[in-house]
Amino acid sequence: MTGPGLRRRLTKALITACASAILALWAFPIFWAFVVALKGESEVLAFPPSIVFTPTLRNFVDALVGRFSILPEMGTSLVISLVATLLTITIAVPASYAFARLRLPAGKLLGFYVLATQMLPPVGLVIPYFLILNSVGLLDTYQGMIVVYLTFSLPFAIWLMVSFMEDVPREMEEAAAIDRASRLKTLWYVILPQVRGGIAVTVVFVFLNCWDEFLFAVQLSGNRVRPVTVAMYNFVSVEQTLWAKLSAAALIAMVPMMAIGFAAQRHIVKGLTVGAVKGGGRR
Amino acid sequence: MKGLGRVRLDRVEKYYGGVSALKTVDLEIRPNEFFALLGPSGSGKTTTLRLIAGLETPSAGRILFDNLDVTDSGPGERDIAMVFQSYALYPHMTVAENIAFPLRMSGVPRRELASLVRGAAARVRIDHLLDRRPSQLSGGQQQRCALARAIVRKPRLFLLDEPLSNLDAKLRVETRVELKSLQHQLDVTTIYVTHDQEEAMTLADRIAIFMDGEIVQVGAPAAIFERPATLAVAGFIGSPAMNLVRAHADGGAVRVGDTIIPCHARIPGPPRDVMLAVRPGDIAADKQGLPAQVYVSELLGETSIINLKIGAELVKMRVSGGSPFRDGEQIHVRFDPDRLHLFEPESGKRIEIEAEPKMRRSAP
Repeated sequence: MTGPGLRRRLTKALITACASAILALWAFPIFWAFVVALKGESEVLAFPPSIVFTPTLRNFVDALVGRFSILPEMGTSLVISLVATLLTITIAVPASYAFARLRLPAGKLLGFYVLATQMLPPVGLVIPYFLILNSVGLLDTYQGMIVVYLTFSLPFAIWLMVSFMEDVPREMEEAAAIDRASRLKTLWYVILPQVRGGIAVTVVFVFLNCWDEFLFAVQLSGNRVRPVTVAMYNFVSVEQTLWAKLSAAALIAMVPMMAIGFAAQRHIVKGLTVGAVKGGGRR
Repeated sequence: MKGLGRVRLDRVEKYYGGVSALKTVDLEIRPNEFFALLGPSGSGKTTTLRLIAGLETPSAGRILFDNLDVTDSGPGERDIAMVFQSYALYPHMTVAENIAFPLRMSGVPRRELASLVRGAAARVRIDHLLDRRPSQLSGGQQQRCALARAIVRKPRLFLLDEPLSNLDAKLRVETRVELKSLQHQLDVTTIYVTHDQEEAMTLADRIAIFMDGEIVQVGAPAAIFERPATLAVAGFIGSPAMNLVRAHADGGAVRVGDTIIPCHARIPGPPRDVMLAVRPGDIAADKQGLPAQVYVSELLGETSIINLKIGAELVKMRVSGGSPFRDGEQIHVRFDPDRLHLFEPESGKRIEIEAEPKMRRSAP
């Protein structure tokens, strides 16, 4: 009969409607930024917002190659984010393996520590970080920013990777041990290839956090070393805010992250649902 | 015969926290022997295998390979190969890479790998699957891949942890035969963990039976079958298992209820209650025998199992062919007087019947 079929279709329609509503809510600011970026500066502030206008690519051109180019700052952000991510992964992989496999006394504290670092209001850390960086002469330097980013990306990355490491069957390692692989070789040849997906997810999250970071960037750097988030802030000044140019710059700054997001989409979904379903569907 | 591969466990014990998993195990496994560790789950057989593999460290005692103390050596230093119950194949490697892995880790030169891998794969007939991933193999093929990975390097010792338990019944019997012939060809000491008494009986040269963290009997399959050392072993070995009947022993006679069971022997000790054990094949219809009622008959094919009620006891009798009896029929049966086993009902220990023709070392 049509009863169950109808019900299934209704359920599906309902889910689609809900998902669309949430998606619209989430996507609207990006859509609005795009619309604003296509307008002239004077049109942006018109109220009610002008629906019909002559779109212009001027703002994008300005933000890319013009007087307001953010390309150099994107380079800076890229260097900071890449190095911070690389260091994070290099340290987090062996560390998470150790937390997952060895009976470490601190093992149980890791979860609490990670949560604690995420719960701490970052504003509270700005002044201590400023004082520390100032006293070691790393204020407004690449090294200083990378170290600051490591302080929160590293615990997060280890915590995320531990769950992936724990999913690798123990027998696999025992088999490797019997096959005469040392612990490091086991990690390299047997474990790492199986947690590739987890590493991809961690890379994306860590890179995203560094790329998007604004608070520390604006306080602890900004003159010699200027990340893209700080550069965008310069469109906001005392006299006026260049909304259209700011929107264009923001959209351009989003592009690398969106590219990475699309590339790692499959892994990210798995990463977000890790532990939700036993077995997780990871190979 | 290279005469290598002797394993000795010297008063080995294993505790997890305060819980004893293995109580004082003494065991000697001879070179080139196919040795089965048999027992129900939780009996300590897998723990024993893992101790031999070096995956666990004993809480007390020593483990010796060819008189060499390996108690503190890691698994990689012991020159062993193991097939895990789950096979533990490396999912990101092809079959060929899986088989080559122990060779690569042992530093075998790259140019020699291909022929060795092909040879091992051919031995277990998976040389046409070398480029597949484990996920693209059937259960039986995965099992063979794990076997090939174990035999590619000629180790001192093969350890097999329930290698057939994940296969379907038909494949299990086929693989069993191949495993036996493979072991003969390779001539390497093999230690085999199983909970399946039939597997242990058919494969092993000798069996150690584990119960509750202890070895209760070690011997050749036939010896264990003929003379189970305890009531538990009697109930575990054989299919169907031995019939266990409450009885009363009084010098020269064994009595079930009011009926005297003829027994060509003298039972030592004072009159007392005993457990009488007899295999289904050692019971036959006999007009002079015990009165019994046919309860239900099961045709197995070439033989049938007749379930009988003797007094309050349910007893299984094996006859060849189909059942000659109707259900509910009153018949008389006779226990073969030369093939009766008696056990202490409390301790479960075997009571050695005096004047039994083949006297051997008595059970502890």
